[in-house]
Amino acid sequence: MTDTWLVIVALAAGTFAIRLSGILIGQQIPKDGAWARGLRALPGCLIVSLVAVSVLSGGVREWGAGLVAVAVAIVSRNVPVTMAAGIAAIWLLRQVGN
Amino acid sequence: MTAPRDAWTGAREIVPLALGVAIYGLAFGLLAAQAGFGGLQVGVMGGIVFAGGSQIIASQQLVAGAGAVAAVVAGLALNLRLLLVTASIREVYAGRPWWQIALGAHMTTDENWALMLAQRAKGRHAGYWYLVGGGLCLLLVWCLATVTGVLFARAIPEPKALGMDFAFTAAFIAIARSLWKGRRDKLPWLTAVAVVAAAIKLGGVAPSWALILGGVAGAGLAGVVHDD
Repeated sequence: MTDTWLVIVALAAGTFAIRLSGILIGQQIPKDGAWARGLRALPGCLIVSLVAVSVLSGGVREWGAGLVAVAVAIVSRNVPVTMAAGIAAIWLLRQVGN
Repeated sequence: MTAPRDAWTGAREIVPLALGVAIYGLAFGLLAAQAGFGGLQVGVMGGIVFAGGSQIIASQQLVAGAGAVAAVVAGLALNLRLLLVTASIREVYAGRPWWQIALGAHMTTDENWALMLAQRAKGRHAGYWYLVGGGLCLLLVWCLATVTGVLFARAIPEPKALGMDFAFTAAFIAIARSLWKGRRDKLPWLTAVAVVAAAIKLGGVAPSWALILGGVAGAGLAGVVHDD
């Protein structure tokens, strides 16, 4: 299937170009001022948006498990512990719901 | 030479996230088999694309019969966020030779980027080689898992049935907690969430774009508001 190989190569080339462009654009942005402040705030805002997209794309159970994960994250400040709590919470909520 | 040690630390600390990646890799292999990919193709794809979400979306488009162009466009739209990801850690690549910039660019994913930032927020040293080490570990796990998935497609359970679809959401919640630097983050973060919610619930915007809108809106607000 040549079509499949074309998809693979095009997706790879495009994705690499995107990753590299970010670095090149980032180097052009000034070291202080409004743009630099925005860029410093970008990681947190992007991660919060990632979480919001995945929780909002779900239903009440995802909201519930999200709240459990937030509570565990605040107390534990630990990635694996929060992952385990989140997975357990969503699994339990789905058992109850069905 | 701290490079090998940093890379090893990065590889070791990414392991919990790599376990989530492995489950997704198996599930992606199942989908890739339906989309008509062979084992070699899936292995090469994982190695040279190395962006799981976009591989999943592109394959879904192929399975749905949308065609090769639509598959590539959907995958790249999801990956546009990586432009913001690499731009946000520009100093990590600054002043490095071209091959390290190219390697670092390819090795940057949501998971090792976010983990590196979380370690830094805790005051630990985590730089270029920490990022690359984590990326190499993820690349290896992703390729192995996806090829295993395509070869043993019938025996793989759905991640959702195990609650594993929530693994990354929970991980990013914990990472956001580490990045929280106090009150000045409140307004930008609330803005990001509000924009994502409005885009998805009111605007009917696709998740790939809602994510970018939210991130840019929050960061833009932080840039405009003077508080440092």
